[in-house]
Parts: sequence; structure tokens; C-alpha cells
Amino acid sequence: MPKDSLKTRLEIAKSKIAEKNPYKDKEPPSSIGTAFKLSTELVSAVVVGTIIGFILDTTFGTKPWLILIFFFVGVVAGIINVFRSAKNMQE
Amino acid sequence: MATNPMHQFEVYRIGPEIKLGAIDISFTNASLFMVISSLAILLIFNLGSKKNSLLPNKVQLLAELSYSFVSKMISDTAGSKAKPYFAFIFSLFMFVLFCNMFGMIPYAFTVTSHIIVTFILASFIFIGVTIIGFMKHGLGYLKLFVPSGVPAVLLPLIVVIEIISYLSRPVSLSVRLFANMMAGHTMMKVFGGFVISLGIVGGWLPLSFSVALTGLEILVAFLQAYVFAILTCIYLNDALNLHH
Repeated sequence: MPKDSLKTRLEIAKSKIAEKNPYKDKEPPSSIGTAFKLSTELVSAVVVGTIIGFILDTTFGTKPWLILIFFFVGVVAGIINVFRSAKNMQE
Repeated sequence: MATNPMHQFEVYRIGPEIKLGAIDISFTNASLFMVISSLAILLIFNLGSKKNSLLPNKVQLLAELSYSFVSKMISDTAGSKAKPYFAFIFSLFMFVLFCNMFGMIPYAFTVTSHIIVTFILASFIFIGVTIIGFMKHGLGYLKLFVPSGVPAVLLPLIVVIEIISYLSRPVSLSVRLFANMMAGHTMMKVFGGFVISLGIVGGWLPLSFSVALTGLEILVAFLQAYVFAILTCIYLNDALNLHH
């Protein structure tokens, strides 16, 4: 008997906590999604960086320089993307 | 050559040529398969939600299972704030899934193996998520590009990197789906061609490989639709709950 009453009291307490806790419905993102993110994340950032560099180059007429700079900035952005996804997976 | 593995990706016109100004909007085989998948989705969910019996039949079970699957996925990744966007993510997931799965039928056309289709889907999501972010947070959404605790000297460089990383989202989203579908279908065609060219003596090895590959491709078709939808949820989560 006392065991049962304890159980019901525990249940009530748990549901009360769940009601109070605002972070209850926000679980960390599923790791499958983040794992598949890694594959193309790096490449796409490099591509986008290079395209931005190319567009800026043609508008400002500074032919080889901005595309070079933005290529490397894109590489950095891609590595940061991968790093973030990996960090997300660890949590 | 009849066994050209890229032949399956050819888009051709069905019926008369329709022109809207200079733009060709004729009905193609790609549009045909988009219509087929949309109709199949509509049919299944209409049949599934018609009876509403307590003891579901197979179609109703399918509809209910997919509903709860997507609903759980959204609440797990983007929280309860993303509930209003359920309809969009659900239809997106179902459309990509059905396009991928219809592509697995022999002689069918895989709509998602064309980058223009996946890129339009992805840029639609990207623009939508950006608009939602600005609507929810106003100009505060730009804080996404300025991580906290960065020295002021590095700030210009970091902001450029963050913007590139943000702009790379639709590209990575679309390229992933397109590359997976196209590579898988090309590989299946290549191994199918080996079966023909090696004949009855040596054709058994590529044939068994082809069978295994078909199973793998069905898995990939489902997984890529899932990944597409879950990444949409993750981007939506970034826009709804700003936490950088």
C-alpha cells in the first residue's frame, strides 16, 4: 500500500515539474540529420564563397583578387560549418 | 548506345508545346511524375482520413503513422513553436519521399535527381525561413551573423564568414538530395548494363549486386527525404529560437 501511494505521489510531482519546466519540449536535434549535414556542408560553403567573389569581382572590376580572397573565406566558413555540426552531434 | 546510364535523366515533352512569352512551359515527363506523386499523396491521405475508425485499416494506419512521425520530428528538433509550420514540413517531406519512391519503379522518372527541382525547393525553404526569422525577431535576427564574445578586430571577417555559411544552406540542402538520387540511379543503370554485356555466364554477379543496390536505394530514398525535412526543421529552429 505505501509503495503505491508513493508511486502516485511521484507521478503527480513529475507532472508538476514537467509543467513548470519551459525547456521540456525542446530536446536536442536528432543526430541523424546533423550527421548527414557534414557531407556537403564544406563543399557548398566553398562554392558560395567563390560565387560571391566572382560576382563582386565583375562588379568592381578587380578581376583576380576578390575571388581569391572569398575562396579562402568560403573554405573557412565550410570548416566552421563542419565544426558546428560535429559539435551539435556531441551534445 | 541504348544502355547509356544517363539516358534515364532526360527530360522530354509530353503532348503539345506550350509557350508563355519566351518561356517554355510545356508538360514534360518531370511534370508528369510530380503530378503523379501529388495525386498519390492526396489519394492516400484522403482515403486514410475518410473513415476515421478506432481500429484503422492499412491506409489509415499509414496516414496516421506518417502524421505522428513528422509531428514528433518537428517537436524534437524545433520545439513547440514550430507547430504552425507542420503543414508545410509535412507536405514537403511527403512530396520528396513520394518523388524518390516513384523513381524506384523501373522506367519511371526521378524528379529529385535534377538539381533545379531540389534547388527551387531548398531556396523556397531558405527564403521562407529568413522571412520568418525577420518577422519574429525584427532586425535582431541579424545577431545570427554576430557570434558573442568575438574581439572587435575580427568582427568584419567573422560576419562575412557567417554570411557565407548562412548562404551555403540552400546549396548544401539541394546538392545533397540531388547528388544522392542521381548517383544511386546511375549506379543501378551501370550495373544493369553489366548484366546485359556479360551475358548468362558472368552476369550473375552484377545481377546480385543490382538487387542489393535496389534495397540500398530504397533506404536512401527514404533517408534523403527524412534528412531534407529534418534540416528544414533545424533551420526553422534557428529562426524561431535565436540562441547564438
